[in-house]
Amino acid sequence: MPNESDTPRTDMIVVHGVEMEVLRHGTGQPMLFLHGFQHVDPSAYFLYLLGRRAEVIAPSHPGFGASARPKDFESIYDVLNLYAAFLEALPHPKVTLIGSSFGGWLAAELAVRSCARIERLVLVDALGIKVSDRETPDILDVFNTHPATVKAAMWHEEAKAPDLDAMTDEQLIKRHRNWESLALYGWNPYMHNPRLSYWLPRISVPTLVLWGASDRIVKPSYGEAYAARIPGARFALIEGAGHHPEIEQPDSFAEHVLGFLSR
Amino acid sequence: MEAWWQCEIPYPFVDQKILDASDSVRAVLPNRLCDPKIAANLFEEVLDEFLLCDDLGMNVICIEHHAGINSLIGSNPLVTGMLARQTRKVRLLSLGTLISLRQDPVRVAEEYATADVVMRGRFDIGFVKSGGTEFASANANPVNNEERYWEAIDLVTKTLTSHDGPFSWEGKHYTHRHVNIWPGPYQHPHPPMWAATGDPRSAAEVGRRGMRHVLVLRGPEGTKRAYDAHRKARAEAGLPRVTTDNFAYAALVYVGDTDEEGIEVGSKLLWFLNTSLKSAPQFNRFLPGGAPPQAAPGLYRTKPKADAGLNMANAEKGVTTASQNAQKLMSITAPEAMRQGILFAGSPDSVYRQVMEFYDQVGGFGHLCLVGRSGFMTHEESKKSIRLFSKEVMPRLQEIRPVEVG
Repeated sequence: MPNESDTPRTDMIVVHGVEMEVLRHGTGQPMLFLHGFQHVDPSAYFLYLLGRRAEVIAPSHPGFGASARPKDFESIYDVLNLYAAFLEALPHPKVTLIGSSFGGWLAAELAVRSCARIERLVLVDALGIKVSDRETPDILDVFNTHPATVKAAMWHEEAKAPDLDAMTDEQLIKRHRNWESLALYGWNPYMHNPRLSYWLPRISVPTLVLWGASDRIVKPSYGEAYAARIPGARFALIEGAGHHPEIEQPDSFAEHVLGFLSR
Repeated sequence: MEAWWQCEIPYPFVDQKILDASDSVRAVLPNRLCDPKIAANLFEEVLDEFLLCDDLGMNVICIEHHAGINSLIGSNPLVTGMLARQTRKVRLLSLGTLISLRQDPVRVAEEYATADVVMRGRFDIGFVKSGGTEFASANANPVNNEERYWEAIDLVTKTLTSHDGPFSWEGKHYTHRHVNIWPGPYQHPHPPMWAATGDPRSAAEVGRRGMRHVLVLRGPEGTKRAYDAHRKARAEAGLPRVTTDNFAYAALVYVGDTDEEGIEVGSKLLWFLNTSLKSAPQFNRFLPGGAPPQAAPGLYRTKPKADAGLNMANAEKGVTTASQNAQKLMSITAPEAMRQGILFAGSPDSVYRQVMEFYDQVGGFGHLCLVGRSGFMTHEESKKSIRLFSKEVMPRLQEIRPVEVG
């Protein structure tokens, strides 16, 4: 396990007047990681693995973790503009952008707007597009579905799910606040932008689409469709993982990502 | 004191085994379980009960709930429209079209204005904040619901009170750039407005706006706290004091010839609490924007140590959340419901006494809303209570005039 000096650093920074929590770890190529339904746990093992070769920068979205959510923030439009400002404020001319789940939607939206600050793009079990016909939902409705069903769909092995009973009050409070912010941004249209798919061909940087083979929040076939719309994108499955391969299979996940960086 | 009768038109005829097997009796049960022929009979019976109220001089209330055994009134404006024409004497309160779930409040204002014109001013408009399964049924975001609620009320009010041609509304949640309804409402400046809400923050806003404030099945403590917050907010804003006419209370009510009959048949109303509130955790504890984040430890933990967070949240909010209130009510018995001022049942004398005890406990109110029929109560039983209440209890309550309080 990592020693004391490997502990990620947490900074609070201000972007466009919004106070944001940012986890940082490692040295090497700059890598911006946009999280999914929950903010990144500083003890997550994948951070250490990526940090061996990269400088990982993992902000919490507005309204997640310790990041503020301005009162008038209303939609993903606000979040995207904030991240556009965040990217510009980084000292690095370009970063590798990784987006997981909800953060994958953000990453894809940022990339179709401009790849000027993006070296490479990694989408991990990303949400954000409409693939199937109008009566077939692509993404499990995590808000209107029983929590036990959501949990079963989320993990290859449910034992890997975070143990809520073991969490501190503070962690649970953050978790519920994350949930509230997620609903605010992703309620309707549910977790996607009906127009995003049309614009995906604009993405002009090397792209890797990674998917947990057992993901039932959003199935691997959706990931293949995502990759097919991005010119030159590669698609890879991670076995033994559900919606969060970075948590369930951190070694395999890091191997894929770091391998992609050196290609 | 004025009396108002309501029935949500529940559909209790779903096999109990199916209800037990489902984690929610709202939003998720397939409508093949609801026989349209039985639904038609229920509408006929209950609409007739509303008309009986009209004959006997008791005001009526039309509510709205979606996709559950608790209520067949998914479209408030439609049923409001039926009652607008079929009643002739009494006032009708719409409580209400679930305004924050509608895409366009202007359309609701238009329907309400028409109802008021058809009724020649016998119409009251109520606003309910909505909750739980309704967000799923309406595809409406629960997180900013309260903001939409107040903005929608502003837009409805502006629509009803504008008489000089089109105006434009470009708010945070609603945009409608050419608002001009025909006809406007019969009453000026607009029909009386009610708001159903329990927590002190929105109670204060109801007070500042001078709306009639109705508490539903909240018991004496929660009701008094909300009324007090209403008065306090007015005082702090330098607004004039209000009378008991600003306050209303909704309870389950059944009147029989004797106490035994009243309580026995009145107990059938508890179906509303025991059976029709069952709702899955995603619509309830974990509903985003429902309980505040500070409540999370009590919501998420499956083992003890859980209560710290909930208590903290309650201390902060001053009352339990609507969903916690519902959890508490689901297991209630008739004697307990009567002790808590949730059920008023018995002979006419007893019901009058129970209402007045509650009146004294909360510092007075000017409107009693009777949830008069629910669950498996029959048409005959319901009509009997309507007659007894109207003839034996209502005249005594009407003698209680509005008084300034606080």
